[in-house]
Amino acid sequence: MIKQILISDPTLRDGNHAVAHQLSAKQIAIYAEAANDAGVPIVEVGHGNGLGASSMQVGLSLEDDVTMLETARKYLSKSKLGIHVIPGFATIKRDLGRALDIGVDVVRIASHCTEADITQRHLGFVRERGKEAYGVLMMSHMASASVLVEEAQKMELYGAEGIIIMDSAGAYLPGDVAEKISALVNGLKVPVGFHAHNNLGLAIANSIVAVESGAKILDGTARGFGAGAGNAQLEVLVAVLERMNYITGIDLYKILDASDIAEKEIMPMIPVIKSESIISGLSGVFSGFAKHVARISKEYGVDQRDVYRELGKRKVVGGQEDIIIEVVMDLIKNRK
Amino acid sequence: MTEIKTNLIFEDCRRSCTDNEFLVLKDQSVLVTGGTGFVGKWIAEMISYVNETYDLNIKLYLLARDIQKFKDEVPHLTQKSFINLIAQDVRNIHDLPEDINYIVHAAGSPDNRDHVSQPLKTIETFYKGTHSILDAASRLQELKKIIHISSHQVYGRNDSESCIREDYLGKLEANSINHTYAESKRIAETLCSIYRSQLRLPILVIRPFAFIGPYQDLEKPWAINNFMRDAILGGPIRILGNVDTIRSYLYASDMAFWILKALVKGQVGESYNIGGSEAISLANLAKKIGNSINNSIDILSKSSKESYNYLSKLVPDTNKIITELGVKETHTLDASINRTILWNQLNRK
Repeated sequence: MIKQILISDPTLRDGNHAVAHQLSAKQIAIYAEAANDAGVPIVEVGHGNGLGASSMQVGLSLEDDVTMLETARKYLSKSKLGIHVIPGFATIKRDLGRALDIGVDVVRIASHCTEADITQRHLGFVRERGKEAYGVLMMSHMASASVLVEEAQKMELYGAEGIIIMDSAGAYLPGDVAEKISALVNGLKVPVGFHAHNNLGLAIANSIVAVESGAKILDGTARGFGAGAGNAQLEVLVAVLERMNYITGIDLYKILDASDIAEKEIMPMIPVIKSESIISGLSGVFSGFAKHVARISKEYGVDQRDVYRELGKRKVVGGQEDIIIEVVMDLIKNRK
Repeated sequence: MTEIKTNLIFEDCRRSCTDNEFLVLKDQSVLVTGGTGFVGKWIAEMISYVNETYDLNIKLYLLARDIQKFKDEVPHLTQKSFINLIAQDVRNIHDLPEDINYIVHAAGSPDNRDHVSQPLKTIETFYKGTHSILDAASRLQELKKIIHISSHQVYGRNDSESCIREDYLGKLEANSINHTYAESKRIAETLCSIYRSQLRLPILVIRPFAFIGPYQDLEKPWAINNFMRDAILGGPIRILGNVDTIRSYLYASDMAFWILKALVKGQVGESYNIGGSEAISLANLAKKIGNSINNSIDILSKSSKESYNYLSKLVPDTNKIITELGVKETHTLDASINRTILWNQLNRK
């Protein structure tokens, strides 16, 4: 049976992590137009940590949410405009309502993988407004398959039309993906999705394992532009899925063109798997920490790899960026 | 509430009220716990109707934590002199008004979002709430009957293709957070049995299936509500999960009338299903709702799987309540959908 895979492209959201949230409105316009032309179903836009997240703690974005969303909206006629929303960063009245007024079509409400409870009101609000609402479980490597199913079932009850698990740290091996996606497909009514990171060079392989295990939604970014070692490389993903007779609705040549445009226009450098990214993945640390860890480690003269190991031991999650400095100080103290 | 909406509800009550055998309730006092919710509001509407139509002078106590919300939502009921509001948490009841003759224990949310988010509170509310109300009821001198509103979920998983009879014994996985509500309702029913046996309280049990009608929030996480919400917003209607899932629905005013009939004629110690008999798949339900608003509304299906090895069918066998209490469905599914949509459209204006 021919199987349709829904592709969501967070180049303009996860990619914002890779440039410390400094994507400009012009860059957003250029890539949104190219992705739209290629027929990418969902183009996700915003600060790396999502709507309302621009802050001193996780990084100030160059453009505000309204500018980013209004700009993208102008260039997305075929593609749906998506946003990533973490309750706590984004409030319902101030941020979410305004985003929907601008014309956001798809909202992905995210929480740490064991805290789905915090998504209820946000998911409900999006459904009440008649928009598409998905649930996202971040840092999913930190929970067992059975816990993920329980948390995902909560999101399903809250109104999520699909559940995406994120390998936010790029920590998964293919067997982990197969186990967790299969459990979710069995335990849920709604479609399951997977968002990969490439710390261990497995983003594409893991994404394919996910669809072979029953996932119907995949995330991918142009050239893998995203936090840390980057995401699943979208143009490769589309090509491989096409070879395997999956349908994405994306024009291969045009997504190759869009990726070339993205490389030229929005990327200071193409994501590569740096040495510290491998340690980050092995330690299970959120990829969004990469810029902060690199900067603080350099400033205090400590080895990034030691910082990642320690952050991994402490099981830190997105939003706890302030612990990086604490870890660095402890490493210096222990060195003395 | 606008006159059009109160007229709509009055008309619903008139249609559902298929007989006037309510003499035993004349000059009696009825307490409804969870009195400001969907069931409570409809019982209030039905008693208002029979009081006015048959001059029964039934006094109604509605007990709930948040009575201000009730006052805001249904001011036309608040103004009725036969209604008395009691602001109290059902878990902490000690003394009840001494003139109470009948109790309908309907407290506790059936919203499964609450059950997964607050499982401990769910169990506590049903266990302590039922314990507390039965304890207080045991001290009432004039008490004649108690109806405990349970749930179809006490039946557990229905592995057969048949409609569910009151003697059906399905399975429940105890080691699962998903069955918090069902297990809570089971222990509440067991408490009823204990009070009936040990203290000779005159209790019977009603097991509701799915209802639809005015006063039911379309944001509740149930398929028919969400289909209507999607349709009113202009679509698409989104079916999540297995499109072949089978459900049935009883209209709200019929539900209220059936509960009143159970107060009058229900046999102590018995349990009765209450629900609609017209079985329908979610796919056909979505089509029906779409067509009732606009033939061109899109219907989308989103599912984790291509095929399912288990078909969920939740349709009650209502022969017992129909035969023993003499009730009948007066609103077809089409009529129920049309009137609920109309009421919600009036609400949005």
